[in-house]
Amino acid sequence: MAKKRALMLSPKDNVASVMEEVLSGDDVVAQGGIETLLLRAVDKIPFGFKVATVDIRQGDPVIKYGEVIGRASNNIQKGTLVHIHNIEGARGRGDLQKNR
Amino acid sequence: MEFRGYPRADGSVGIRNYVLVIPGGLVASKICEFVPGTKTVMSTKEGVGFTSRDRETIARTLFGLGLNPNVYSVIVQGGSPKAGYPELRTERLAQEIAKSGKRVEVVDAVKEGGTLEAIQKGIKIARELVFEASKVRRQPFSLGKLSLGVKCGHSDPTSGMVGNPVVGYLFDRVVEAGGIAMFGETTEIIGAEHILAKRAVNRQVGQEILARVNCIEKRALSTGEDIRTMNPVPDNIAAGISTIEEKSLGAIYKAGHLPIEGVLDFAERPKKSGLYFVDSWMGIPSIFPGFAASGAQLNLFQHGGGAGAPNNHILDPSPAVVSPMLWTSANPITYAQTKGSLDFYSGTVIEGKETLEQAGERLVNLVLEIASGTLTRGETINYSEPIEIYTIDPIF
Repeated sequence: MAKKRALMLSPKDNVASVMEEVLSGDDVVAQGGIETLLLRAVDKIPFGFKVATVDIRQGDPVIKYGEVIGRASNNIQKGTLVHIHNIEGARGRGDLQKNR
Repeated sequence: MEFRGYPRADGSVGIRNYVLVIPGGLVASKICEFVPGTKTVMSTKEGVGFTSRDRETIARTLFGLGLNPNVYSVIVQGGSPKAGYPELRTERLAQEIAKSGKRVEVVDAVKEGGTLEAIQKGIKIARELVFEASKVRRQPFSLGKLSLGVKCGHSDPTSGMVGNPVVGYLFDRVVEAGGIAMFGETTEIIGAEHILAKRAVNRQVGQEILARVNCIEKRALSTGEDIRTMNPVPDNIAAGISTIEEKSLGAIYKAGHLPIEGVLDFAERPKKSGLYFVDSWMGIPSIFPGFAASGAQLNLFQHGGGAGAPNNHILDPSPAVVSPMLWTSANPITYAQTKGSLDFYSGTVIEGKETLEQAGERLVNLVLEIASGTLTRGETINYSEPIEIYTIDPIF
């Protein structure tokens, strides 16, 4: 089966955006990094959503556009869908304020 | 790189040629219903019980729209000059606009002997003004005579990847040519402000960008809520954007690559050409009239749309009141869904059919055509909504 396309927006990124819908088990070619990466998707990843290009440990920064977009809230395995279920933002978090 | 526009006395160039009636309300609406070529602005914020700072913002929005190059002349309608807040007095609004050399006519309901009489007088004057406006001829001007505003909305992963960078290409071209380009949405640079601050022309402007973001973030923290439950909006999350940082980092691509000349308040007019950040809220009825009051002759909405919900706003030509709306998108699904309403599609870059620069150049050419008189898709619809002036203080 043809490999699915994904794009890393900076070589520093640890996620890639998929350019077409990816199904669990699909092979994905991620370009835009230091080198072209080959991944096996372990989730369904809708068009434009992010896939982990490496294993990301809980608490580690998630990087897109070469910048921190949040932190992993679980351990994220390479090939996994990366979204609100496994990363959180660090900014504007009124819910984390102690003394309101 | 030229377009054909209407020369104005203050050296600016209109891409449309309207007669504006302000403030909005019964008198203005009836005048506009009766006379084609007129525009008015509906706002529920009349300034009553507002602080002086917010009253000034309301006034700046009103006379700013009057000063917009797309406006040929203005009717200011109002009551007795002895009543009302100083910032919003009829005479003051008229004087601020008249500084540009535009013809400004005042219709005073007290002097006319009543509201219905004021409507009658206003219609007579408006007919004369649109007739006079029709005699102005378009002339060639450079791209650098344009002032643009942009907002990205219903953002999805295609926005940061292609849609916004293509608009950024246009912004670079307009600013390089000596024009003005404005972007805003302060919440939506949280997490990307350090990049913008580095692009400021000097340290002071950089500090100002950081200060504006800090102010908004403090306000978000004071709510006790996770900002993700407010912004990114559910639509963004459904389309694959996970955090406000991710949204912001994609959003700033619409500002191109050039230095940031300054930070503007809502509806503030830039003093010279360049790229500006406007401290503003993202709402369509708010940010666009703000850009128009800051002088933008044309506004862009860079549409993501990945969540799949139809966006009725694409059918509303009115948010910027006197400035047309140009809608762009890089999402192939959105393109299919909005055919006939979308002005520009850059998903060709995602499909590998065009480079970002080629799409950007195509957008520059479209902007020149629209600036010369070609209608935006929205302008083929007769509809308008009230605006939301961005005020800050509590009301009393």
